[in-house]
Amino acid sequence: MVRAVADRAFLPTKSLLEQVGDMMILTGKTLLSAVRPPFPYGTEFVQQFLFMLRLCWLPLLISTVAFGYGAPGLQAGNFLVIFGAIDRLGGFFVLASIREFAPFVTAIILAGVGGTAITADLGARKIREELDALQVLGVDPIKNLVVPRFLALMIVTGLFNIFALIFGILGGVLATLTFDAPLGPFFSTLLSNATTTDLWGSVLKTTLFGAIIAIVSCYKGMTASGGAEGVGRAVNQGVVIEFLGIFAFNYVFTQTLLATHPEISVIK
Amino acid sequence: MDVPRDWLSSMGDIAKFSGRVIAEVFEGRAFHFFGETLRQAGILILGSAIVIWGLAFIVGLTCGIEGAYFNRAVGAPAYAGVFSAWCDLREAMPYAFGYMMSAKVGTGLVAEIGAMRISDEIDALEVMGISSLTFLCTTRLLAAWMVLPFMYIAAVGAGFFASYLAVVQQIGEVSSGGFFLIFWMFQNPPDLLYSTIKGMAMATVIVLVGCYYGYTASGGPVGVGTATAKSMVLNTVLVHLVGMLGTQIFWGTNPRAPIGG
Repeated sequence: MVRAVADRAFLPTKSLLEQVGDMMILTGKTLLSAVRPPFPYGTEFVQQFLFMLRLCWLPLLISTVAFGYGAPGLQAGNFLVIFGAIDRLGGFFVLASIREFAPFVTAIILAGVGGTAITADLGARKIREELDALQVLGVDPIKNLVVPRFLALMIVTGLFNIFALIFGILGGVLATLTFDAPLGPFFSTLLSNATTTDLWGSVLKTTLFGAIIAIVSCYKGMTASGGAEGVGRAVNQGVVIEFLGIFAFNYVFTQTLLATHPEISVIK
Repeated sequence: MDVPRDWLSSMGDIAKFSGRVIAEVFEGRAFHFFGETLRQAGILILGSAIVIWGLAFIVGLTCGIEGAYFNRAVGAPAYAGVFSAWCDLREAMPYAFGYMMSAKVGTGLVAEIGAMRISDEIDALEVMGISSLTFLCTTRLLAAWMVLPFMYIAAVGAGFFASYLAVVQQIGEVSSGGFFLIFWMFQNPPDLLYSTIKGMAMATVIVLVGCYYGYTASGGPVGVGTATAKSMVLNTVLVHLVGMLGTQIFWGTNPRAPIGG
């Protein structure tokens, strides 16, 4: 009885911890084989990069404009209109868009669109035993499949962050126009409040988000198993772990950045 | 021209499918399988509640620290409650709920129903004279409607608690009493109702999209994986669109704040 209860409580925890450990090992192996010659992954890297670009640009565009218009644009704009300070919306967008929502919307879209595609792709190869066949042929799946995806996702997520920033600010512009306010003050407070620290913090954060997404999706794809439901389950579990990981990392990173760089939160 | 045409036709299919499922719920068809509905409700609670609340908690922490630092910068640290109240209740919680719903529940539905489709279990249901759409999709939608409002409100609670922890206990520039005074002053029951409607609209869309992609999955185990990935694409976009529309409809250019006269 006690044993049954203990098993029910601890076995999921144990398997979760084991998976986290396996993902850490995969990260280490990926980093090592990325820097160790030979480098056969050039073509695959370019293919994955373009694949992500093609897959994610439209969902990301729609999502960031919608988010920027709704959450920071209308809500903060409403608040500022009460005080007759709608020109400050641009300054608020530094906090809202650059520091917070552009990075995490990028990560959500890359995890939901790109990460799931990677998991489904690798999971399909695992189910068809193509990965085993590769190993028999002496081709290292980590070097040839995981490393290019890891690098491509890191770079593409960092770059997409800039794209998301621009379209998030477009959402802010639309919100400003909704309040019948001129755009000049919006841009002048935006530019006077934006700092380089904000920008590099934002890009660094999304690059690391990309690393989290790549490792989790590759791990879940490469360990997919269990019949008809297997690949679907792998995609499901992968995207849940990615979302939790992204937001947990986001909290730690934001807190560290804000606490170590007090000058970025000074309103100018 | 093929790609946009495919999108349009699959949009139409999803709308038709959703219309049928919703109509069946209102016709009371799901009550023929009320046991299954309750079982699905149980699965939702046991399987998804913890991760949804977990994400709500983390997002609440982030809202809290951003609010605390922003209000410190404008020289009004005591007003961090305004930022937390609006950020949590109006925007962040619906989005966090929608994200986790689409990740955990939406893709889970596709994997589960898709596996049934490709192992011909759905055809077997039809042969036995059971309407598979009612048994699989309508019961799940009704279960979601029964359970999720409560789960959503509990998620909002988790977010509030996290914001309190971040602002009062972690940053510590405002007393607990001062935080809650401002925090409760800047929200009222209609705000919670609007926020819940937003969350429920997202949940309904996600369950319907998940059921559609699962129900129409094809092409073996690989096909189920692809369908799962596709459902996630549509869900993330729809969550953001529903969020924006909800904000526009409920708060539009009316701040609902206790300021001015």
